[in-house]
Amino acid sequence: MSTQPKSQKRKKLNWAPYLLIVPSFVYLLVFFAWPMVQSLILTVREDNVLLRIHEEPTLSIGSVGLLPRGEMVTIIEQQANIISEDELDEPGLITEVWFEIRAEDESGELVEGWSPERRFRVRETDEDGRPIMATVRPVIGVDADPLTSIYSEPSESSEIIASLEAQTPVDIVDQRTLEIWFQVSGEQDGETISGWVQSRYIRAFPDSDEGRVNQGDTGQFTTRYIRRMINDRFFWPALRTTLLLMVIIIPIQFVLAIIMALVVQTNLKGSSIFLGIFSIALGLSDLAVGIVWYSIFTHSGYLNSILQGLGLISAPITYLSASTRHWIIIAIVLAEVWRATSLVMVIVVSGMQAISQDVLEAAEVYGATLWQRVKYVILPLLKPSLQVALILRTILALQVFAVVMAIGGGDVVTVLARETYRQYYDLRNFNMAAAYATFILILSMITAVFYLRAIRTQEEVSG
Amino acid sequence: MKENHSNKNEKAETAADMKAIHEKMKRMQKLRKALAYFVAIAISLWVLIPIIFITSMALTTPQMVRSYPKSILPFIPFSLDTLRFFLGSYGILDGIINSIVVAAITIVLSTIIAAPAGYAISRYVFRGRDAFRLSILAVRAFPIVVLSIPLAVAFLQLGIYDNVFSLALMHTALVLPTAILVLGSVFASIPYELEEAAMVFGCSPVQAFRYVVFPLVLPGIAAAAIFSFVLSWNEVFAASILTIQNRTLPAQVLATLAYSPDPYKFAGSFFMLIPAIIFIFMIRRYLFNMWGQMSK
Repeated sequence: MSTQPKSQKRKKLNWAPYLLIVPSFVYLLVFFAWPMVQSLILTVREDNVLLRIHEEPTLSIGSVGLLPRGEMVTIIEQQANIISEDELDEPGLITEVWFEIRAEDESGELVEGWSPERRFRVRETDEDGRPIMATVRPVIGVDADPLTSIYSEPSESSEIIASLEAQTPVDIVDQRTLEIWFQVSGEQDGETISGWVQSRYIRAFPDSDEGRVNQGDTGQFTTRYIRRMINDRFFWPALRTTLLLMVIIIPIQFVLAIIMALVVQTNLKGSSIFLGIFSIALGLSDLAVGIVWYSIFTHSGYLNSILQGLGLISAPITYLSASTRHWIIIAIVLAEVWRATSLVMVIVVSGMQAISQDVLEAAEVYGATLWQRVKYVILPLLKPSLQVALILRTILALQVFAVVMAIGGGDVVTVLARETYRQYYDLRNFNMAAAYATFILILSMITAVFYLRAIRTQEEVSG
Repeated sequence: MKENHSNKNEKAETAADMKAIHEKMKRMQKLRKALAYFVAIAISLWVLIPIIFITSMALTTPQMVRSYPKSILPFIPFSLDTLRFFLGSYGILDGIINSIVVAAITIVLSTIIAAPAGYAISRYVFRGRDAFRLSILAVRAFPIVVLSIPLAVAFLQLGIYDNVFSLALMHTALVLPTAILVLGSVFASIPYELEEAAMVFGCSPVQAFRYVVFPLVLPGIAAAAIFSFVLSWNEVFAASILTIQNRTLPAQVLATLAYSPDPYKFAGSFFMLIPAIIFIFMIRRYLFNMWGQMSK
């Protein structure tokens, strides 16, 4: 009887908690999952490297092939085509203005249609400067058509509805800006491809019929950025230094954090004051901390001042220079230990508070030394906390950035996050920056999986 | 008789031994306590001395900052000139304002989004709760560096690049996991019985929350907000990537780091550290609670 209401309760799904977590879930999806995928895409996909060549001067008629960006092409012919108003802002457009005109042709019939601006000489404009009256320009050249064609639509591919002689007066009803299309021919993989493309994709060279594919409209998958990253002269130094810093910093932090936690747990008078002091560095800006340690290690800094004050050196030593890489690394290690140990300490202390005091007292009564208590009682019971702290610290260590910038300037000693920043900020290469970022992501995932695995197999062995 | 005597002697010896052992243990304990004090003071000095250094550099004259060897005694001469020089430098006041605006938006957004989630994970047992908690933890450890680049590209395309509001969106994502966990531990510290009692006396669940839980969690929400502020105030990588003209304070300091003089750097470091130190000191109890809850 007593179990019945419980099972009924279980059957009825409670929607309230799901509704409550939806906003955060969606937010994290948009700002974590999406950028993660996007970063991966930026790494392996090049945008706009291939240009689709069309059979006819219109986007709707199928492509005859793709030309890569940078390919030289011959421009065979050009014509103006309708584009939508908001496309006019696109960069690199070559445009032409067309007039909608009304005029009498040679037979005295009234015609209305479209023709390019260059065929007319404007005679009259309204107060806004818009042309309203013009005459047809004479055609210069031996074998040029003396007549000017009038099209039914603002496009050379539309039907010719009339022809006007030079000097015919016309009324200008309307005007439109059109984009030029080029008929180009170029080579890909030894095959000649010729067809029509919009002018925005082609850089036409002046005074010649040559041009170059300036930009494509289609992307492709590539390993180019990954290869470039690996061959980048900063890649290996950055990776080596990042891993080196990780290997040096994390053990020091854990030992120091456990010592701090033990001291706090000893029931000293004023141990809450000590805890307060130990947790000062909990939320300090990494940039600011980098500058703090720069102030200690710089040429006229505190370290030299103290050493000289003690008479140990007679002239200041230069620590932070290209020839003293090891000193920069030492300074970075000290800064990171100083800054980030408190986070580990907080996790360890909160883990220790969960350990029953009886267990510790029992160990002490049975004569376990401090070292034995730490090794056989405290550390095993702290394992879940240490596991969280270890994963967190390792992944954060892969992102070390501002401390490195502040202490070493980021060139002599460089790390992966600094290279991401360099590619984005200094070199403006988004794909390469994404490649570095994705590399950091993959390293983080590998370390997390590695730790979780290692802990699980350990449990299997011991259990 | 003789035997008896020796027996007595033995007893006396063991008593003396016991006493000696006791003394020894007491001495050990004292020694251990002294050692603990020594270690505690040593670590405290290790934590405090760099802060004293940077503070005394920021609160003296620029001439003193450039001098060598520096005096170890702080604040001689005491002067606000270095700080004034820093605050008067190009882009610093704007940077401070931007930092505060970004942090304020981040606080509002993250609290609104995180509070319900924190309530859900502390009050309800539901399918997928552990997965949700685990994914929050995973996100907490997630490389922020990885987010900045694709978001910068997306913000450029959307036309919201170089904007304090879009930076605040990013910072909200950054602080959200921690905010959810802090708020979760805050809600968990308030017994459900209180809510239940309120409902027994005729409150609706919403009223029970409004009149019973809310006043009790208000300090905790304030703590989470302060923590969000500190995280946003400190954040430098995303801020440098996502802004050009509207830089926050750390982004401005980083951008000019290579060619700025020492007084500027030291005052900047001091100015970034002080609010963080004060705020974190105020809310440290909540951070300990959060980690205690999490590693359970």
